[in-house]
Amino acid sequence: MPLRDEFLSEEDLDLANLPFEELVAYWNLWLRQAQATNDLDAREYSHGVMVGCKEPPLEGVENHDG
Amino acid sequence: MTDNPYLRLTREFNEGKTRAIICSGQAVVLHGLAVMSKDGDWILRENESDLDHVLSVLQENGARYRFGAPLALPWMRMGWSSHFEFQDQDLRIRTDFFTRPPRLTLEQLSALWTEQESATYPVTDLVTLSRLKLTNRERDYSVIGEIARRLENPSDQFLWSRSVRDLIRLAKEHSSLASSLTERRALLVFAIEANADRLGEELDRERRQHIRTNERRLEAMQALMKDWRSHWAVLQNEIRDLPLRQAHEMCVEAAARLLPSE
Repeated sequence: MPLRDEFLSEEDLDLANLPFEELVAYWNLWLRQAQATNDLDAREYSHGVMVGCKEPPLEGVENHDG
Repeated sequence: MTDNPYLRLTREFNEGKTRAIICSGQAVVLHGLAVMSKDGDWILRENESDLDHVLSVLQENGARYRFGAPLALPWMRMGWSSHFEFQDQDLRIRTDFFTRPPRLTLEQLSALWTEQESATYPVTDLVTLSRLKLTNRERDYSVIGEIARRLENPSDQFLWSRSVRDLIRLAKEHSSLASSLTERRALLVFAIEANADRLGEELDRERRQHIRTNERRLEAMQALMKDWRSHWAVLQNEIRDLPLRQAHEMCVEAAARLLPSE
């Protein structure tokens, strides 16, 4: 089998073969598991023009910069 | 049927009319490419009543403003983004909105709205998604690399592929097309020559240029929001317990003084 440049994981590439219902079920499972990092990214922005910004801390609210 | 918070929100945003197109991370999911983002992003129609509808949906969901621009025309027209967050049972839902996504011309944006008008779940097409993914995140270039393999049109494949092997193979299969596209993507010259090392170097250089371009865009926008950022903690303390619409009015009033708008 000829080599090819790999961009995404096998797991990711398999998503294209899933029926819509199963894709949504996998998506939901991933979102649930990803909640584990909510404290770590509580003040982070990953999208829009704020990307890379930290939300300014609120007075009297603990910040999670660690 | 299994539902999903971002699909549910998209239906609510688009009740009676298409107002919101799923883009970025959740568009990557809907195209079956990867699941890699917790947040939802939408391109919204740029008019007052449609933004107002989206704000109502967010209020019904108990959303609060995160740091960002008000979801209102003067700031949306200038390319700012608005950000909200709420809890949906055990999920933290973050929603990001803009009406002028980066790297899309108004013509491309208009064509996107026309194409997605009757879709159940309006979503950015693969070429548009590739344009949006020209960010300063390395991982987005992996997504573009895989998107290029799903494109049907060989011209689009030539213009978006990030694979040395794919580009050299394409150039063998469509040599005259490859030559005709070198003005739009100069590195195709090295695909035609089957010069894998040089092509790889140029793909890296191209990625770094896209990253720098996006960084400069973000730096310019972030410099403009210096005053807004300084004021945010004060404003956030004032609006944190208010219903979203009331918070929105206060945001608009403060942004009119502190955040450049059109």
